[in-house]
Amino acid sequence: MTLAATDAKGVRPGIPPGLLASLAGLAAAWIAFDLLVWSYGESPRALLSMLFAGTWGTPYGAAQVLYKATPLLFTGVAIDLALRAGLFNIGAEGQLAVAGLAVGAVGASLPTGIPGVVAIPLLIATGGLAGAAWAAPPALLRARLGVHEVISTIMMNRIGEAFVAFALASGLAMKGTVRTGDLPPGAHVPRLDSVASGLRGSAASFAVILAVACAFALPWGFARVRVLREIALVGMNRVACAAEHMPVARRLAQAMLFSGAIAGLSTTATVLGYKGHFESGLGAGAGFGGIAVAMLGRGSALGLVASALLFGTLEQGGLAINAHVPMEAMQVLEGVIIVAVALADARVRESLARAVPRSLGRKARGA
Amino acid sequence: MPALEVHEVDKRFGAVHAVKRASLAFERGRIHAVVGENGAGKSTLLRIAAGLLVPDEGETRVDGRKLAPHTPAEALSRGVAMVQQHFALVDVLTALENVVLGREPRGKWGGLDLGAARAKAEAVAREIGASIAWDARVATLGIGERQRVEIARALYRDARVVILDEPTAVLTPGEASSLYATLRRLADAGRAVVVVTHKLDEVRDFADVATVMRRGAIVETRDVTRSGDEVRSLARAIMGNESVAPLERGSRTIGGGEPVLVLRDVRMGRAVRGVSLEVRAGEIVGIAGVEGNGQREIVRAIAQLDAIDSGSISPAADVIAIVHEDRHQEGLVLDAPIRDNVLLGELARFARYGLLDADAMDREARARSARAQGPDDVTIVARTLSGGNQQKLVVARAIARVEEGHARVLLVAHPTRGVDLAASRAIHAEILAAAGRGAAVVVVSADLHELRALSDRIVVLARGRVSAQLPPDATDDVIGQAMLAGHDLSPREEARP
Repeated sequence: MTLAATDAKGVRPGIPPGLLASLAGLAAAWIAFDLLVWSYGESPRALLSMLFAGTWGTPYGAAQVLYKATPLLFTGVAIDLALRAGLFNIGAEGQLAVAGLAVGAVGASLPTGIPGVVAIPLLIATGGLAGAAWAAPPALLRARLGVHEVISTIMMNRIGEAFVAFALASGLAMKGTVRTGDLPPGAHVPRLDSVASGLRGSAASFAVILAVACAFALPWGFARVRVLREIALVGMNRVACAAEHMPVARRLAQAMLFSGAIAGLSTTATVLGYKGHFESGLGAGAGFGGIAVAMLGRGSALGLVASALLFGTLEQGGLAINAHVPMEAMQVLEGVIIVAVALADARVRESLARAVPRSLGRKARGA
Repeated sequence: MPALEVHEVDKRFGAVHAVKRASLAFERGRIHAVVGENGAGKSTLLRIAAGLLVPDEGETRVDGRKLAPHTPAEALSRGVAMVQQHFALVDVLTALENVVLGREPRGKWGGLDLGAARAKAEAVAREIGASIAWDARVATLGIGERQRVEIARALYRDARVVILDEPTAVLTPGEASSLYATLRRLADAGRAVVVVTHKLDEVRDFADVATVMRRGAIVETRDVTRSGDEVRSLARAIMGNESVAPLERGSRTIGGGEPVLVLRDVRMGRAVRGVSLEVRAGEIVGIAGVEGNGQREIVRAIAQLDAIDSGSISPAADVIAIVHEDRHQEGLVLDAPIRDNVLLGELARFARYGLLDADAMDREARARSARAQGPDDVTIVARTLSGGNQQKLVVARAIARVEEGHARVLLVAHPTRGVDLAASRAIHAEILAAAGRGAAVVVVSADLHELRALSDRIVVLARGRVSAQLPPDATDDVIGQAMLAGHDLSPREEARP
């Protein structure tokens, strides 16, 4: 956003094509919702108001939406960052799983009396580093060999899933369970209900502040941080950047690492803010949900926040209407939005079009 | 009724008004040349005629009927084919397979019937008086031969109008005249032939009709006479009445002592086969040659973007400022603002602890934009500028690096390609000024006038070797001879019966 679109003067007036794609996705989702509900013999309008009542209708519901939206915002920002470099990070799912395991394992080994000012930053950093570490193989494969990141990150998701299960089974979990030990009380990120008693019972925590801060820091970073600015330039035309001797391969790798790190930060909401330990499957789904958030948010901080809230609403709303329509209906909607917006997004089409030939082995020029 | 017609067509690309309400008709039986400077709108107009581009206004008519839908497939099915500047052949297929691609004759069981295809293709080849090695892979064919395959493909599809975009740009003069012999046969057989070119002597020698375009508009259409005056008169029409200040070469002192840029026996695959070159401070060396004789590879080697097989190049890349030949791909990040483009690759200088000094960047960017007569608002996206202004930015970036002492060598490839006259002059003045301040300058260009105007010495590349070092006042003939050195002039490529 910062580098190009907001600065664009003298370009075509009217609705920006990105916004148009987002609106198209929402329209498609609305139609799909109506059809689904209708096919269950229910009234779309009644269910819509039920969905609203179960989410934004009560303070608790609204806080639950915030809780569901927080990991999605982290992964959405992560995937958006990679997209700016022209990379499609499908691997947030694996990155956040491995990060969750790392945070759970490190956290459980901390002394019980450790103060929050030490434990929380330490564990946030652990999550980021673990996410980056899981993004490192695709980053290196891309930079050194030109292996397309769509392929490698998908593979890393499966490997991550298996690795987490393996690690839990071979000693990281408490005996007879699939969860790590409890984190010391100081390592918990405070819940929002600790300051607003109306939200009692909700899992929403102050992690949401960190997520929003990430979303708003990113545009600033693309404008003012040298590495990020070069990443954005590489994303726009890596041939020209290479011609001026910018380290294109390194910037691509860094973009993937940063993306993985931010995906890993989503553990702040799940492990540190909610459970207080890591267990198998905690946070799963946010990695793929983040793709939808990034698609819909389209490189603007506000857009990312808004679309994370939308998908958070859908997730929480699925519970509210579960009695009438299976909550999986919400996943159908999510899928519809992803497909519709992705098809309308030139960046994704390009990335996918490059995916197949490049991964067949020829080294990419300038990459 | 003309075979092909464009009627009142108008086309804009962003801020560039490429074609302005142009109407033009092409008759059967004639070779019709369309001439004009780079960027005059010739290619755009003909791409519209062939259905490849949709005009903003106006229409294409084939045999008097509107081309609808306006697609290349429809144009082809109505008998209009275009041979593009960059051939659209599949390297790994044979010539015959390329010719039938998309129109494969089916055998009894739905299989490919290459026998039938061959018969028809050979009939086509007889018609144009060419023999084509049908079973050779296209990758193994020479440029002239590939072009004949392209033409054969058009005719195989029963094209009655054949449009060729700069067909001789990559050919030697011998290949070019053989091409025109082919085109004449097509015209004599009742086809309309359209040739986009900027080589006026070709127009005089081979065309029947010439249309002159300038800045997107059609200036005139005339019958061509074979008189010696025709070239000059066409040139006047192309340039219009713009008064062009003669280039001041000024006086420079070419530095003595050690040369600044030194290439010793540089070799790169088959493209560059032992090039040595020395350029001193303040000296401008022009590199001439038919396109595809190693110029592009040499530039990328000096820029240290591609590895060389053997030999040596000094100095290191960080003291060489370059204007690359393809400004859209290599020169600019089109979707980024002017600010990032004029500072591309230099952000390290503006960073402290990894954070950029936005004010310093803006100051520097504005100064560079100003010297390119660009906008003061450096947040404008580069894509919205005209081609000439884009190129001026690229040149300004390179020159600024020389001026600020970051670079001692200036390497410019085709600096004024597709750039209008006024911008060309400004760019030339900048290049001369850079040499005046002591840079060692190399100019690669296909335009001999440009090379003569700028260079102290012209180095001719042929087949990846330096075939001659000539003074800038050498005649076209002498330079032309040198360009052909090492080329196989035997009848193989020239004029087969």
